[in-house]
Amino acid sequence: MSSVFRYRELIRNLVLKDLKLKYRDSVLGFLWSLANPLLLILVYSFVFGHLFTGGPPNLVYFLMVGILPWNFFAQSLMMSTGSILDNGNLIRKVAVPMEVFPVATVLFSLAQYLLALIVFFPMALLFFKVSVAWSWVAFVPILVLHILFTVGMCFIVSTATVFYRDIRHFTEILLMLLFWLTPIIYDIRTVSDSLSTVLYMNPLSYFILAYQDVLYRNVFLSLDRLMVLIILTFLSLGLGYSLFLICKVRFAEEV
Amino acid sequence: MSGEIQVINVSKAFTIRHNKADSLKSKVIGIFHKRYREQRETLWALKGVSFNVSPGEVFGLVGRNGSGKSTLLKIIAGIYPPTQGKVQLPNGARMGAMIELGVGFHPELTGKENIFLSASIHGLNRKEIEAIYGAVVEFSELDAFMDTPVKNYSSGMHARLGFGLAVNLNFRVLLIDEVLAVGDEAFQHKCMDQIDRFQAEGKTILFVSHSTDVVKKICDQVCVLEHGLPVFLGNPDEGVEQYHALLRGNHS
Repeated sequence: MSSVFRYRELIRNLVLKDLKLKYRDSVLGFLWSLANPLLLILVYSFVFGHLFTGGPPNLVYFLMVGILPWNFFAQSLMMSTGSILDNGNLIRKVAVPMEVFPVATVLFSLAQYLLALIVFFPMALLFFKVSVAWSWVAFVPILVLHILFTVGMCFIVSTATVFYRDIRHFTEILLMLLFWLTPIIYDIRTVSDSLSTVLYMNPLSYFILAYQDVLYRNVFLSLDRLMVLIILTFLSLGLGYSLFLICKVRFAEEV
Repeated sequence: MSGEIQVINVSKAFTIRHNKADSLKSKVIGIFHKRYREQRETLWALKGVSFNVSPGEVFGLVGRNGSGKSTLLKIIAGIYPPTQGKVQLPNGARMGAMIELGVGFHPELTGKENIFLSASIHGLNRKEIEAIYGAVVEFSELDAFMDTPVKNYSSGMHARLGFGLAVNLNFRVLLIDEVLAVGDEAFQHKCMDQIDRFQAEGKTILFVSHSTDVVKKICDQVCVLEHGLPVFLGNPDEGVEQYHALLRGNHS
């Protein structure tokens, strides 16, 4: 992992490259990264403010609290299927610590998540009439754990895709399924016991619930829930990075 | 002795896969249908190669196509792990492999952006890149094109930028794989001058080339590879003669 720090300039440049290329030659350019979440929120406001009503109070705010972190996770995972594979040309020709590629993928998605939050929080205060609560400070540690958890998962996915190209398509389907098995667009307290048992087997549920606790329900995370997040993060990072370390010597020959 | 590159009995086997099964479906089908099963064949690209390269030495690797030169260079660079044997590198020496020029250049990025990206791929930090930036631009003679996307460069310009970057990365040990075969005569001349300068600066150079004139001129020692076997190690003039004999043998 020390190589990740030593090559931080490379990680920075990889993330900047992707951010620059994403909107290069478009008229709005960088403004798109702000316009995108803004339009997302507007669409949800229209759909759930006028077409489908009911559900938890302040529904659109509730939805965004879950959807934005979910998008970060899903985008990271989807992009990480190509982290090693799509950099094959580089990996076959330069001795470079390959950890930087999945990490850069997560940071690229994180940059977009943070930009979305920059749009989201002022909107929450102005349009959704949400008031700042003390519990919001717990957002930061949850975010940090969520990022590290995602990095671990991306290590697994990027490694697996090198050996089985199917993983790319599998991840896409799995994410779709996982979206519905995570309490993002419904309140976990309103589902049946048997279904909520299933939801609690999904590690991502704990992260989304934590976000909802501190931002929506305005309560601090209980200590045992925090422990769950920490354990999940350690498991994900530990397993993911071990798998990556074992397999990475073969990457140059397999990509 | 430290400071030396020691290649100790290095062998490398590649698994050649016919019907390569890299999807789950093909694996499953392979269980039932013999015809679709993955066939594995082991190819020894290198067999028991050993040599030492002293600091400041220019070491040439020659051999026919497919003799294992580039594989050996990649093993020394740490891109491939050796199947057997090991490579001992000088402690803490920055080593640079120029397997191909302009690796990691992105066509949509400008020349300047590519210099920063590519240099960081080789492990330089921003301060170090800023320090060499001027020299890279000067060497490549592309001052007017630094804000142009690399996709609009000619192949010669692309190579100049790549070489300009490579020579300024300040490696103690350079692994060069046939990168001199690009550009016009004037540029090739410039590259040769640069290698002379490296030699004078006491840098260690491992050099793969088909150009026997260059090998004779600059190398202190050569290794001739044939089908992964080191068939000659020593004096450049004799090595080149051996290499020519191999080529003649192939034709007769």
